[in-house]
Formats: sequence, C-alpha cells, structure tokens
Amino acid sequence: MLKHLIINGILSGNIYALLAIGFTIIYRTVKYFHFAHGVVYAAGAYLAYTLFILLNINPFISFFLSIIIAAILGVAIDRFVYFPLRKHKTSSLVFLLASFGVFIILQNLLQLIFGAQILTLRTGPVKEGHHFLGAVITDNQILIIVSSLVLFFLCWLFIQKTKFGKAIRAVSDDPIGARVVGINSEKIIMIAFAIGSALAGAAGILISLETNIEPTMGMNAILKGIIASIIGGIGSIPGALFGGLFLGLAENLGIWKIQAVWKDTIAFIILIVFLLLRPSGIIGVKTEKEKI
Amino acid sequence: MLQVQNLCKEFDGIKAVDDLSFTIDENSIVALVGPNGSGKTTVFNIISGFLGADKGIVVLDGKDISSMSPFKIARQGIGRTFQNIRLFPQISVLDNVMLGLKYKTGDRFSSALFQSKRMKKEEVENTRKAEDLLKFAGLSEKRNALAENLSHGQRKLLELARILALEPKIFLLDEPIAGLFPETKRTMFGLIRKLKESGKTILFIEHDLHSVMDIAEKIIVLDHGKKIAEGAPEEIIKNKEVLKAYLGKKSL
Amino acid sequence: MEYLIHILIVAGIYTILTLSLNLIVGYTGLAALGHIAFACIGAYASSLLALNFGISPWIGIIVGAILASILGAIVAYPSLKLKGDYLALATFGLGVIVYSIAKNWVGLTRGPMGLPGIPSFSIFGYQISNVWSYLILVLIFVFITYQAIRNITNSPFGRILKGIREDEIASQAMGKNVNKYKLIVFIIGAFFAGIAGSLYAHYISFIDPSSFTVMESITVLLMVVFGGMGSLKGSFVGAFLLVILPELLRFLGMPSSVAAPLRQMIYGLLLVILMIWRPQGLMGKYKFK
Repeated sequence: MLKHLIINGILSGNIYALLAIGFTIIYRTVKYFHFAHGVVYAAGAYLAYTLFILLNINPFISFFLSIIIAAILGVAIDRFVYFPLRKHKTSSLVFLLASFGVFIILQNLLQLIFGAQILTLRTGPVKEGHHFLGAVITDNQILIIVSSLVLFFLCWLFIQKTKFGKAIRAVSDDPIGARVVGINSEKIIMIAFAIGSALAGAAGILISLETNIEPTMGMNAILKGIIASIIGGIGSIPGALFGGLFLGLAENLGIWKIQAVWKDTIAFIILIVFLLLRPSGIIGVKTEKEKI
Repeated sequence: MLQVQNLCKEFDGIKAVDDLSFTIDENSIVALVGPNGSGKTTVFNIISGFLGADKGIVVLDGKDISSMSPFKIARQGIGRTFQNIRLFPQISVLDNVMLGLKYKTGDRFSSALFQSKRMKKEEVENTRKAEDLLKFAGLSEKRNALAENLSHGQRKLLELARILALEPKIFLLDEPIAGLFPETKRTMFGLIRKLKESGKTILFIEHDLHSVMDIAEKIIVLDHGKKIAEGAPEEIIKNKEVLKAYLGKKSL
Repeated sequence: MEYLIHILIVAGIYTILTLSLNLIVGYTGLAALGHIAFACIGAYASSLLALNFGISPWIGIIVGAILASILGAIVAYPSLKLKGDYLALATFGLGVIVYSIAKNWVGLTRGPMGLPGIPSFSIFGYQISNVWSYLILVLIFVFITYQAIRNITNSPFGRILKGIREDEIASQAMGKNVNKYKLIVFIIGAFFAGIAGSLYAHYISFIDPSSFTVMESITVLLMVVFGGMGSLKGSFVGAFLLVILPELLRFLGMPSSVAAPLRQMIYGLLLVILMIWRPQGLMGKYKFK
C-alpha cells in the first residue's frame, strides 16, 4: 500500500513538476501568474483525444501535433490578453485576474465542445503491470515517468545551453540590461510561452494515459503547479522540479493514514504554510520587496 | 531630541549603514547629505521603523523606539516624507491631508457604524484644519482634485501639508526639494524655516551639498553608510574627506 | 411571476455578498478571493443548528455570521503579510480548504449529499414560506447591510480604509495601525457574507458544497469589479446584472448543458474585458492598478 502511494507520488510529482517548470519559465520572463496555464494543459489532453481517438491518427503524430498546438495556444493567450496589459503599467494582480478570465472562457469552451463526460486516451484493455521492488507498475506509468525525465532533460539543455535559454535568464534577471545588449524581450516572452505551454500540453497528454480527461482537469492541475512552484521557490526552475516531486510525494504520503479525499486539502495547507512562513521557497529565491 | 547610536544595517553582504551615530538637537535644522547610495534613506527607514537595524538603537526624547512598529513611531512624534513621494493617488487632495489629522474617537469603527455625533463634530473640525493647511501650502483650489493629477511641485507641497497635519515633534524630510524649480525650492525652504520658528525640529536628506549651505545649521555627511563629517556648514565645505567623497563620484 | 420574485431574492442575496466583498476589496484594496467560504460557514452553521437542534433560524443566522467572522479574522492574517496576487492565491487556497471540508467531512455536513429539509424563518409561529414574504425578508437584510457598509465607508474610518488601499506604507507613516483595520474589515465582510449564506440556506431549504465552490467566489468578485470597486451602488448593479444575465440565456431556450458553460464563458469574457479596458467597472472610482 505504501509502495503504491510512493509510485503515485512520483507519478503525480512528475506531472506537477512539468506544469511547475513551464509555469516558472513563463513567470521568470513576465513576473506574473499565468493561471490559464492550467487550461493549456487540459487543451493538450483534449487535442490528443481528438487527433488520436476521434480521428484515429497515429499516436506519435497526434501527441506531437497536440503539443505544438498547445504551444501556439499559450502564445496566443499572451498576445491577445497579456500583451495589451503589458503596455500599461499593470500590477501582477490584474494579470492574475485576466488570466482567471481566460481560464474560465477556455475551460467552458472545452466543455461546450466535448461535453462534461469523462474521456480517456487509453485504448484496449488494461494490461497487467510489472512487479518491481514489491509494487506493481504498469507500462503506462513507466512511459509517463520516462517521458517526463526526457522532457526535464530537454528543458535543462534548453535553459542552460542554448542562446534562447540564456536570454530568458537575462530578461528575467535584468530586463533593462537585456534590452541594452539587444535582446528583444517580447520575442523571448513568446518563446517562454511556447516552451512552457508545450510542457503543459505534454503533461496533459501524459496524465491522460493514466487517468481521465474532463473539462475541469485544468483547475486542480494549475493549482498544484503553482503550489509546487512556490514550494521550490518562485522563479527557480530546479526549484519547480523539486517542488513538483515534493508535492506529489507529500500529498500521497499524507493520505497514507487518512482518507484519500483530503489530498487536495493537504496541498493547499502546504501552500498556505509556505506563503506565510517561507515565501521564498525551499531554495530561497529573492522575492521582490517593496522599495520604501 | 533624536539620537541614533551605532546603527548597522547590511543588505546581501553590503553595509548600507555602518556604525552610524549622531544626535539631532531640539528645534534645529539638520541636513543629512551624501552621494547617491550612501545610505541616507536607509537611515530614515530605520528611524521611522520601516526597517529594522541589525545593530544599534534609535532614541527619541529618551525613549528607545528601535523595535516599535512604524505607525507607533509616527504617533510618538516622528513624521516623515518619502523620496518617491507617497501620496494617496486616487483620493482627493483634501482627503490626503485629512488622513494626517488625529481624531479622538471619530475614527473608530463604532463611531463610523453608528455615525455618532462626536464623529461628525470632529470631522467638521478636522475639515477646517485641513483647509487651513491647504491654504498654507497654496493648494486650496485643488482640494477636490485627485492627488495623482497634481504636478510634481504640487505633490511635494501636498506631502508637506499632510505631514504638517500629523503635528510631529520632528520632521524627517526625504529630498524635499528634489525636482523642484528654483522658485518652489525657495518656497519649500521658506516653509522649513517657518517650521523652525514655531519650535519644530527638522532633519532632511539632500544629495547636493551646496543647496543646503544657507538653510542647515548642522550638516551630517554620509558616504557608503559611514559618517565622514559632522558640523556647521562652514566646516563641512572645507573638509577634505567630504570633497574626496564627492569628487570621487559624478555628483556635485 | 413567482419566478421573477425568485430571481430578485437571489439577486438580493448576491447583493449582500457583493457589498460585503466590496468593503474588503474595493475600499480597502485587499485581494480576497475566497469570499464564498464565509457564506458557506453561515449556511451550514444555521442549517445544522436548525436541523439537529431545532434552533430558530433567527438565532442560527446570527450564530452563523459570528462563526463566519471568526473565519474572517483567520483569513485576515495572511492579508497582513501578503500582497496582491500572493494574497489572492492564499485566500483562494483558504476558499478551497473550506469547500473541501464541507465536501469531505461527511460526518458533519453529509458531504455531497447535502442537507435537505432546512426550515425557513418563522414569525409568531407562521413560517415564511411564500416567495413574496421571503423577498421582503431579504430586502430588509439588504437594506441593513447597505446602511451598515455605507456608514462604515462614509466616515473617517472609511477614509483610512481608502488610504490603506492607496498606500499602506504612507498610511503607517500617518500613524494608522494598518493591521487593525485589515482585521476589522475582514471580520465585518465575513459577517455579512455569513448572513447571505444563511438566507440562502433557509430559502432554498437544501444546501450542498457545490453552491460554495471557488467559481462562486470568482463570480462575486466579478460582481464587485463589474459594478465598480469602491461604489456601493455599483455593487447593486453588478449583482443584479450578473444574476439576471444567465436567466436571459434560459429565456433563449438553451438546454442547461449549453447554458451553464456559456454563462461561465460570459463571466470569463467580462473579467478579461474589464481588466484590459475598464478595471474600474461600471460605476467604480477605483482601479486595480
């Protein structure tokens, strides 16, 4: 039983980490909470469903296309909603509220199109899992974990090694200085949204291999993603990875002795504790203090 | 009246305030001067309670106010303005000044909920006081304008009027003449002199040494958080350390 | 016709919620996102007291409001340390926690099965059961709420709230105990929200956690922003318009599987439009900056 909770913890943790990393990459460049990230995650799942299940397209092509479209969706949200706001000097709270608005619009659009019923990416019967260290782990679960690891690695390569990744770090640390050396921050923001949203779409697809697709899946997901980012330290990409895994395990271990229904409550209590006691997260990023 | 003893404050390993001590006598005009980044506003923030010092104490009229919260320190009689001018932008000029005035019981929740007669009476009195202050600052015509719609000079005057409403024992003015036209600068210094004549104490921050020569009775010079000179204007202007600090930087 | 009265009753209840939230968000500038949690407490408290102990709703509504204001005091604490979007997140989280307690503490609240058969108010032995009398009851509470909040905001105390909204640091420099004021507004805002919750419970006679989700909190916030922050009349307008709107959709004959998400989509769209083009709403004097 405990071992299953640990496996579930790692699985959820990977998904949370993917969400948190994407969310954090975006946060680093724009400095506000892109709540609608959650509905991009859901869109990824629904796109995969449409292409793979409804249109019977090859799974690899379906998933790849879905991720691309999710990336485009993220960029579109930024261009149509956030960009006009960036032109005035708006507080991050206004961005958050606008982002809520976008989230609500798109989540309900998904519901209008696909209905409220539960869908899935699973085809065929559930295969028996493999025995591993006394627990059972299925092919799907292995696929999810391996895929996430690959994505984490690609992300790391991108941020650390490519010119765009360096630019993202420059823009987030010193936007004016970045402009001075000729970095176009709007272009970088677009790239950040593309990468972050691709990760979100991928996460949505991966989780749908294991659990259900439904219109409200984005809400819970983004909240966990945000909690994970804050645990790890908002703005820190390795922090996001750590925070995601920490949250996944903490949630699942937390319900070892109590009923499973309290899983979300545990996550939110962790959020509040971190916000109040250690807003800089575990890694301890510098939170911007108001200049007096 | 105000004493600062061995004040130390570090940010990320950099000493913003380095073992600073000075005394401000009652009814004096003192200028706290130094190049940008020398720690002047940090000192103000510590004195007024918005920042805690790592070491050292602040004493007002014999009372240690080092660990008091900012609103309590304001009530003890320290009134301060801010380098970036902190007005209440989306409310009226009159209301901005009203917010500095004290109430006996009129600003209580219960007075508001039951609209007590006492509250209404104090409100009338305070409105009159606020109008007088606006007249003093030359802003009467703008009483209903939103603070965010004022010109820079008008904002500075409003900030002064608001701090006058507080009736503090000691005024801490952060760059009171920054960005003002020469004529408004003279008006501001004139107001400061009037304050001293009515028995008040003023400590103000200024980064340009020359501007304060005529008005300050004592000048304290900071550089990199340390006090490098303290004395009457004539002595300061001849002080080699002071010249070095300023010539080494781009200002002056 | 009875249906119209029903709409007015619901609008009235939302007006109480909107007015109380306006005090916190519109006048004091605190980004409080979990307001419906206070209504949830009020609703469940007075319902459980009535169902389990036969306590009169008149007493239940006050007890519920007091319990809600205790939660309000608790929620005030994060507002002392967090700003803007971080406070929004924290209050959102607290809203989710209250909702999940309502849903999962089945022993107390019967969880998703809800509480049926909640008795209505009665005067001198007569149950207030027809819509007209309930409307009068709600309007009385709306009037009381409006008067109270109008008094509070139209006073030196109210001016200090606005000062806090505009600049907390300057407020402290003017000798105002900002933390005290934040605590008071949360307690008062929660109190009235609790009243709204009880009114709802004893009217509909059935409550379950699905009436108190975070979406509901966002809807009330939308009513405040849409009507205009810092404008009490705006709260009436915001609440009424956003209650009437979904009803118009129903008039157009849409099935509820379409009408429900469509209604939400319009809310979302409205939120985006407000933030981009008119953050002060219809009648507001203050913009989220």
